Amino acid sequence: MEQLLSVGIDIGTSTTSMVISRLSVQNTASSFAVPRMAITEKEIVYRGDIHSTPIREGELIDAQRIAALLKEEYQRAGITPGILRTGAVIITGESSRKENAQAASQWLSELAGDFVIATAGPDLESVLAAKGAGTQQYSEEHACTAMNLDVGGGTSNLAVFSSGRQAGKGCWDIGGRLVRVDEMGRITYISPRLRPVLDELEIPLHEGDRVELSPLRRLTDRMASLLAEAAGLLPATPLCRRLHTPGSAQLILERPADRLSFSGGVADYVYHPAGGDWFRHGDIGPLLGRSLYESPAFLHERLLRPQETIRATVVGAGSHTTMLSGSTIFFTDASLFPARNLPVFVPEAETEQGALEGDSVPLAAEADRFRQEYDTDRFVIRLARTGSPSYRTLCRLADALGALAGQLPAGTPLYVLTEQDFAQALGQALRRRIERPVICIDSVQAQPGDYLDFGKPLRDGVAVPVVVKTLIYA
Amino acid sequence: MTREELTSRVTQAVMEALARRAGGADGTEAPCPRPPLPDLTDPAFKAQVLVENPNNPEGLAQMKRRTPARIAVGNAGPRLRTQTYLTLRAEHAGAQDAVFRDVSPELLKELDLVSFSTLCRDRNEHLTRPDLGRRFSPETLEDMKKRCVRSPQVQVYLSDGLSSQAVEANGADILPALMDGLHDEGLRVGPPFFVRFGRVPAMDVVSETLDAEVTCVLIGERPGLATANSMSAYISYRATVGMPESRRTVVSNIHAAGIPAVEAGAHIAQLIRTILEKQTSGVELQQ
Amino acid sequence: MILKTVLSGRTYQFQSVKEVLAKANEEKSGDVLAGLAAESASERIAAKEVLANLLLSDLREHPSVEYETDDITRMDQDGVNEAIYREIRGCSVGEFREWLLAYSTDENDIRRIRKGLTAEMIAGVAKIMSNLDLLYAANKMRIQTHCNTTMGIRGTFSTRLQPNHPTDDLDGITASLYEGLSYGSGDALIGLNPVSDSVASCAAVLERFAQIKEKWDIPTQCCVLAHITTQMEAIRQGAPADMIFQSIAGSQKGNEAFGFTTQTVREAQALLRRQGTGTGPNVLYFETGQGSELSSGAHFDTDQVTMEARCYAFAKQFDPFMVNTVVGFIGPEYLYDSKQVIRAGLEDHFMGKLTGLPMGCDCCYTNHMQADQNDLELLTLALASAGCTYVIGVPASDDVMLNYQSNAYQDAAAVREILGLRPIAEFEAWLEKMGIMENGRLTSRAGDASIFLETRGGIA
Repeated sequence: MEQLLSVGIDIGTSTTSMVISRLSVQNTASSFAVPRMAITEKEIVYRGDIHSTPIREGELIDAQRIAALLKEEYQRAGITPGILRTGAVIITGESSRKENAQAASQWLSELAGDFVIATAGPDLESVLAAKGAGTQQYSEEHACTAMNLDVGGGTSNLAVFSSGRQAGKGCWDIGGRLVRVDEMGRITYISPRLRPVLDELEIPLHEGDRVELSPLRRLTDRMASLLAEAAGLLPATPLCRRLHTPGSAQLILERPADRLSFSGGVADYVYHPAGGDWFRHGDIGPLLGRSLYESPAFLHERLLRPQETIRATVVGAGSHTTMLSGSTIFFTDASLFPARNLPVFVPEAETEQGALEGDSVPLAAEADRFRQEYDTDRFVIRLARTGSPSYRTLCRLADALGALAGQLPAGTPLYVLTEQDFAQALGQALRRRIERPVICIDSVQAQPGDYLDFGKPLRDGVAVPVVVKTLIYA
Repeated sequence: MTREELTSRVTQAVMEALARRAGGADGTEAPCPRPPLPDLTDPAFKAQVLVENPNNPEGLAQMKRRTPARIAVGNAGPRLRTQTYLTLRAEHAGAQDAVFRDVSPELLKELDLVSFSTLCRDRNEHLTRPDLGRRFSPETLEDMKKRCVRSPQVQVYLSDGLSSQAVEANGADILPALMDGLHDEGLRVGPPFFVRFGRVPAMDVVSETLDAEVTCVLIGERPGLATANSMSAYISYRATVGMPESRRTVVSNIHAAGIPAVEAGAHIAQLIRTILEKQTSGVELQQ
Repeated sequence: MILKTVLSGRTYQFQSVKEVLAKANEEKSGDVLAGLAAESASERIAAKEVLANLLLSDLREHPSVEYETDDITRMDQDGVNEAIYREIRGCSVGEFREWLLAYSTDENDIRRIRKGLTAEMIAGVAKIMSNLDLLYAANKMRIQTHCNTTMGIRGTFSTRLQPNHPTDDLDGITASLYEGLSYGSGDALIGLNPVSDSVASCAAVLERFAQIKEKWDIPTQCCVLAHITTQMEAIRQGAPADMIFQSIAGSQKGNEAFGFTTQTVREAQALLRRQGTGTGPNVLYFETGQGSELSSGAHFDTDQVTMEARCYAFAKQFDPFMVNTVVGFIGPEYLYDSKQVIRAGLEDHFMGKLTGLPMGCDCCYTNHMQADQNDLELLTLALASAGCTYVIGVPASDDVMLNYQSNAYQDAAAVREILGLRPIAEFEAWLEKMGIMENGRLTSRAGDASIFLETRGGIA
């Protein structure tokens, strides 16, 4: 058994947190079979504090201060970046802007270890939160549909699973920090995204106003019912569609899931409704939690208790982003790892078919266009149409890839990802044909637009950890 | 199937039959040629849930996905449904054919393989006399010595074992992939050949006869119902007659739905390199 | 002792009791492979004739494996009730056959005489019985045992539910297990043949079985058929096991080839007494099969039927809850075709019952022998008609892990209906509670494994 330490860092609109997970990897095949490495256990070994995300000015995060916070967390956890084998840093919610992503990359790359660094779009965030909350697992174990609503500071991320398989995801600009108040009891910020809601409710609310409970409660009640609409519990109104986060997947649920869970910072107020000072966090989070708790739409017998609430996304990032490649792979040199942020080149169906039949010209031409579009010579060619290839097909494919590689600058590695299990055979066939370094990995699925991280190989080089990322700011 | 459904299906079938007849009456084809019936052994066909009105359809489908076992097949009284029963019979027939058929001479020609036989005289003897399936006549051994290379680092051969079909299905892909891999490693490899009516321990005789450092046999596995194409590789360092089975390294489940033949070939080439480095095989290699 | 006879004018001379026993066997490819079989059909009958005229004392005095070197021979010989033996020692094998078949001989008579028998006597009489003889005599005998429930009561016919999976995936195993339960399978045992022989994997499956048994309140027993030492270690580490399983052979050497000794089994029994979850007193499960001794060179030039009887002599030392022969598993080099498999199944069941064991049968075949599902179904029905304690159940007859075919989950239901048999009473009550069975017949709800899922799912 081998263990990999994985880090998850979530820089959200309101909070930043970190977890360290230990992933246990084992050969699950019998000793008479080709090895089949799999992640058999995920254990969270360190949970960092929930920090307020330091803001520099406007909506920009203070990446330098975040780096300082995380440095302290590393020290407390007894972790050095060098021992981290995999993981993901994600910038989520309203923070996930280009400037923030750049700043984070700049300041965090050193901390995040040799391997990790990335950002998440709203859809990936939805899925990670649901996995971190344990909702996906519940759906799988109980063969039911289950939905997680991760209600954070800026957005609510929704993901639905049917028997463990993703059945839908979406994101809405509904969150606990869209209205902020100061200690003096004045409203300091109202997100422009809330304007249509306030207009609909005819609540005249402005920055600088004194805080009053009743109109804010009307606002959070409506926010709760909008989430119920998103969740398919109430008929959708046009307003619900207007609050849909730009760039996230369109999700329209015709009927509600069998089970429902809440995660995110607001979730604790759903599961542990508390009175007292509603504005103790300087926002409307607790109030929104109470609105959700009291909403008749969210039937409480449907509610699942999540494994994580405020840390769901970061646990998702730390524990659920890494997968393993197939266990018969090929690389010319272990020093090629880690390899990060490799864009995925998916040839057109006919082009790939052509290459399998011996026509290598279109493949090389398409790859050429891809290189220009992405402005890089380092990319992964993903192949998915091979089935279980014959020796002849394998040779033709290797010839075609060899021709493609001939266009790359000398010394640039050729990265190939096959969905079917034959990377080692393909790698050996390529080694016979081309001079440059080759990495051939299989049994991982990736889509156009994805980026891949390959971690350092496991002991004996039988498999590598892989993170498939959907970068929104490439 | 409810009574209504049954009635409607039968009615439909009769109507269709009548329509076909009408089409054929004036000597012309029926207007729309009908595709053949689905292949009973097609994995997609077998993946169907045949239980009617299950308590939790999605849950049942998921259970079926979790095991290759033939579950969610429904029932006809306390017996199997027709489709399930015929699929079983079809796959058993396939498995039996895999055992009782011979590897075609065309394949051996295509792969340019010389063929040697063990002491078994026919398939029946091969099945009932494992002791003969591991031995060769002195003449055969002389012939083997003549036609093969002496003292190779690696000697690979194909053998029918308990499934000739496994050799037919994988031989042309695994053998060149494996030989390529071995040549890339710069190893001295004897020319491969074929052994008819072979059992695994025949490799010990081959090893001693040719004085091979590593011997590897690619041999058909005893077929399961849905895996008549499955091949195994048995690899041993300095195999000797009578040595314990624990000295063999085994790679099983080589077929399109298990580990593909070309990938197995590449993997075995690496494994053989390791065996040569460590100068041991089997249980000792794992430790 | 006469080892010579004349048949149709030709003289047949045998050298030893062992040779007579071997050559009196119905034809088996395993005896041919071992070089022990009769060389002609006539020689076979000559051997039967000589055997029929041997006395039971001849068979006792010529054990197949030496007393000094083999603990099974010692346990078998030393366990004989000498008073009863004195009553039967002068009886010929042929007379013994007739006594077993006689109207006047009932179950109690056999129960008493059993104490004076050794494995060779039991094997001997089986060799001169026809298939129907074997069924008729076996039908007189029922052996009741109790672990969590009582098995073997006349009028019942039980099944071991065998939810094997090619990678021991717990959810895959569970899916198959629920499927089996939904057909009313599993009153004898829920028992898995694992791929992995690791303690952790064995314990994980035992845990899953215990959870399911508890959650649905199923009156049955559970077991994982890993190696005996693996199961013992899992139990020592706290895994919940009702029973311990082991494959056994008919000689000490054969058992050693399986990696255990008599002492190991005694320790297993003691361990279960302290830490087992089964009520008992019967807490062991053994499997046998003609030919296994030859495959490990531990047959001492003895034919496979006699060695099989010796397995039972070993098994009875431990009062197991259940014993079955895996009759068609070993392959055509031991049992060539369906005729030989059926014969072996009937012999094993009869010999096991005569030994006093709760005998079941894994009616099965592999794809490289000349047999198919039709043959297996006939064997099942024949055995059930003669009171066979239990058979196996796998999904639609195909075991995707062991790569052989046995009885489908549905088979027992059909056999029970035809012969008017029932599952174990507590289990039947449970099936009724679950809506799977009504008045001894499966309901329309049967066969839907998703009745064990809690929630009604749907695609959002």
